Amino acid sequence: MQPSRDLFPREGSSLTKKKMPTLYFILPAALIVGAVLLFPVLYALGLSFFHYPLVDDGTRQFNGLQNYWTLFTDPEFWNSLWRQLGFILIAIPIELVIGFFVALLFSRDFFAGKVLRTLLLLPVFILPVLSGLTWRLMLQPEYGALSFLLSKIGFGGKTILAEPNLAYTAVIVQDIWRMWPFMFMILYAGLSNIPRELLEAANLDGAGFFKKITSVTIPLLKPTITTALLLRVIDALRIFSEIFVMTDGGPGNATMLFSIYTYRQAFKYFNIGIASAMAVILLIIAILFALTLVRKNMDLDTM
Amino acid sequence: MNRKKKWITLAITITAFAIVIVEMFPIVIIVLNGFKRDIDIWSQNPFSFQFTLRSYQKVFARDDFLLGLKNSLIVGLSSTAISILAGAMASYGIARFHFRGRKTVSYSFLISRMVPQISLAIPLYLLFSRIGLRDNLLALVLAYTSFNIPYVIWLLLPFFASIPKTFEEAALVDGCNRKQIFWKIFLPLTAPGLVVASVFAFIMSWNEFIYALILTGNQSKTAPISINGFMGQYAPEWGQLAAAGTLILIPIFVFTLSLQRYIIKGLTAGGIKG
Repeated sequence: MQPSRDLFPREGSSLTKKKMPTLYFILPAALIVGAVLLFPVLYALGLSFFHYPLVDDGTRQFNGLQNYWTLFTDPEFWNSLWRQLGFILIAIPIELVIGFFVALLFSRDFFAGKVLRTLLLLPVFILPVLSGLTWRLMLQPEYGALSFLLSKIGFGGKTILAEPNLAYTAVIVQDIWRMWPFMFMILYAGLSNIPRELLEAANLDGAGFFKKITSVTIPLLKPTITTALLLRVIDALRIFSEIFVMTDGGPGNATMLFSIYTYRQAFKYFNIGIASAMAVILLIIAILFALTLVRKNMDLDTM
Repeated sequence: MNRKKKWITLAITITAFAIVIVEMFPIVIIVLNGFKRDIDIWSQNPFSFQFTLRSYQKVFARDDFLLGLKNSLIVGLSSTAISILAGAMASYGIARFHFRGRKTVSYSFLISRMVPQISLAIPLYLLFSRIGLRDNLLALVLAYTSFNIPYVIWLLLPFFASIPKTFEEAALVDGCNRKQIFWKIFLPLTAPGLVVASVFAFIMSWNEFIYALILTGNQSKTAPISINGFMGQYAPEWGQLAAAGTLILIPIFVFTLSLQRYIIKGLTAGGIKG
């Protein structure tokens, strides 16, 4: 049924009376978001064009694109960008694969399946800080539980968080541990929406396990997988707390991901201008992904 | 055939149990360490220990941790309340009115949920310092509201959109105006959505670390910050850290387990159709 015109006022409705409720409903949220989100973001954009030491030493001044140029010639900046990219490209595909196969596993009925599925939710909601600290504890060389187990299988005697490559691996493993269940949950929900008849038809056609997956399950799950990937990428782009407490970017700059380096620039080196330029760069990348996600999934016209 | 099926089911069950055991390992470690004596935490074999409540006693005697808990509660509840109120109104407005710029407004709201915290934390730090809100709970409430409002709007849109428009027509005929329709008819109808949105908004505030790290000092620090404080300057207080960590996990786990059938909706708010 088409709603009548004045019941759901459309664009260009001449009756100002009808526009009042719109403002009434939208305004509170718009004001708050404008004040604590939009304005600060614009402010950061402005700051990124200034030489702006945190403590005013009289040298604060407009310097155009200088901050961006400084960043592009700063090896530490590129290091943080590549490490961030590597983090995303290693962690998320692994999370997807584990999540997918565990979702397949749980799509069967078996003893205690429901309880186990529920338990898998917990890591996703654990405080990121606590997760980072727990992994740091488990990896302590003398007394960490994981180090203890590793030494039992002949991988002992290493201070994992003190060796660059191992520390980088550790923060990635930490993220995989926390977030594959996120993939699992979304894919599990997607799987349970696939009509049984399709899989049974594939069975009748004599399709084997992998054939069924590649020709029925994955094509049907594709929209779900894309959405899950986008959500995870947007989230992984801004990872901070876990790594801040686990390694604080170290050893050296081995785990200096983008947000960690931005934080350093702002609150260790007090270069607010440069940190703001980094904040703007990250913001632009995040918005590009967010726009893709929103375009793909939001269908305002059907509302 | 039937026999083969039984074996497959058995294999699946065992695999599933193994996965869950591995996955629960870090959580078990943190919970166990809260009940260990310090000397056992520092010992070689992490799996042999004597049960004690010492760490919990110590944690409850620490004013800084209790203050952190209190601040976390205040900030979480206030931010959730503001976000639900403003977010539900905006969500209804977007779902029901076809105003000029509707698309731009709603896209902006939706995208602002994805803004990286560090990008916002730096300007907020400067702005709040300027107006004297540093180390003030109000600053945190505002910062958390910045990500909670867009989230609530995302989450509630499908709830509002699913209510038939005949409800409004009937109410208008009965002489209700728009505002009454919203407060008296729509809010009660979307109650499940409001509950899910509140719980998620609260959890996100409860777990938040970056803003708290940058915007707070001694007075307004929250529980996650005081937990990190247990790392200490010289030696980490693992026992107290574990006890405190377990305590702040309790509300989260209770919420998650009791709301599990809404969790997919909550996690993907607006991200997945239907």
